[in-house]
Amino acid sequence: MIEDMDSETIEVGDLDPAQWNEYANDRGWSDGFPLAVPTQEAVDRFLQTCRKDNAPFAPMSPRLLVPTMPAIAANAVMAGCRAEYFPVVVAAVRAVLDPAYNLHGTLATTHPCAQLLIVSGPLRGQLDINCTGNCFGQGRRANATIGRALQLTLLNIGGARPGEMDRATQGSPAKYAFCFGENEEESPWEPYHVRRGFDAGDSVVTAFASEPPHNINDHASTSGEGILQTIAGTISQTGANVLGGHGPYVVVIGPEHAHTIHRDGWTIPDIQEKLFEDSAVHISRVPPEKRKNYAVDRSAKVVNDKFYLTCSPEGIHILVAGGPGKHSAYIPTFGSTEACSVRISNV
Amino acid sequence: MRIVNPSFGLREEAGNLTGPAVCAVADWSRDPIAIVSNSKPNARELLEGVRAQMGAFRPTDNIDYLFKDSAAQPAPAELIDEIARKYKGAILALAD
Repeated sequence: MIEDMDSETIEVGDLDPAQWNEYANDRGWSDGFPLAVPTQEAVDRFLQTCRKDNAPFAPMSPRLLVPTMPAIAANAVMAGCRAEYFPVVVAAVRAVLDPAYNLHGTLATTHPCAQLLIVSGPLRGQLDINCTGNCFGQGRRANATIGRALQLTLLNIGGARPGEMDRATQGSPAKYAFCFGENEEESPWEPYHVRRGFDAGDSVVTAFASEPPHNINDHASTSGEGILQTIAGTISQTGANVLGGHGPYVVVIGPEHAHTIHRDGWTIPDIQEKLFEDSAVHISRVPPEKRKNYAVDRSAKVVNDKFYLTCSPEGIHILVAGGPGKHSAYIPTFGSTEACSVRISNV
Repeated sequence: MRIVNPSFGLREEAGNLTGPAVCAVADWSRDPIAIVSNSKPNARELLEGVRAQMGAFRPTDNIDYLFKDSAAQPAPAELIDEIARKYKGAILALAD
């Protein structure tokens, strides 16, 4: 074992791929899928893409060790990333280390939240990040491995091991990897990262502690009003962690739905306002014991006999992604967390 | 084959620590103690039950119920300070 200031190398012997994976699995480094080998040469290639990024990292919960670039790069290599993805991974690490994200809570909770990464800006195309058809699903290396690299980093540097410091009751498939791009090209509205204060030419990663996407099917409505009624109805659930105004949550509108909603004159603030009101859950739908718990211990405010799911309409994050078809998606969050965005800086 | 350790991290310097913390030992049969809810459902009922059972061997009028606002957020520093200042021990509801 050799240590320097910010990394440690280990001589593991002459292992074939199967033996390497057994070795890594025995040390708890794996999410269950096979891992690439984080050789010094591979890690060095990744580090070349972030040469100018010298900003310090905060300690990472729950182990509270301070991550280093080589260790993050080792996880990105193991995840199967290309070197050019590494600046996105680093930005994602910085996003979840923002205190507003509440990383410790999101990792240690019994809730199934994963780290959702939404990539906006020009790098989406350069890195071939899927923003269109099946963008939440399989098939694109960038989506799969960038999301996975963050999860492995939280596992191995953060120490969020399932059954130990990751206390998820059931977890979710999103905890393997959950990363997609905004479909800016088919969005009728201003890009999401621009609405969050970045320049259009910036590439930005935004992290949410989120559940997997919940599909919203509306093939019948031909008006924006109708589609938004279906979206609000899907969001309005009594079992959500965001019940009681603990938002934020994300609504990913498919391009066809977006086109119809925009055609009918809806702006993003209009949509936020409508969903804020129409997705609120009437108290009659919430069991009395749960209502009492929220009222006493969680400081949730009931307004007009309704539980609101976010603190304000601005807590509803709206963007366009996906391909052809009349589907959209609702992505609830852990609740006690914030969306955290970081500009991706490369070389 | 030599690899870069993916679990490597640095320990933050504990700059202000000057020595081991000194802990007073609580006398659980009579000292003031806090029962602290993590605000999970039914945590209060659990802790109130513990207080009632402690009544079999100690006074309970100096066992105070405290809670944080959200199960998902850390206890605020003011609450930790209050517990440290006013009580000799604390019982936490750790699970669901």
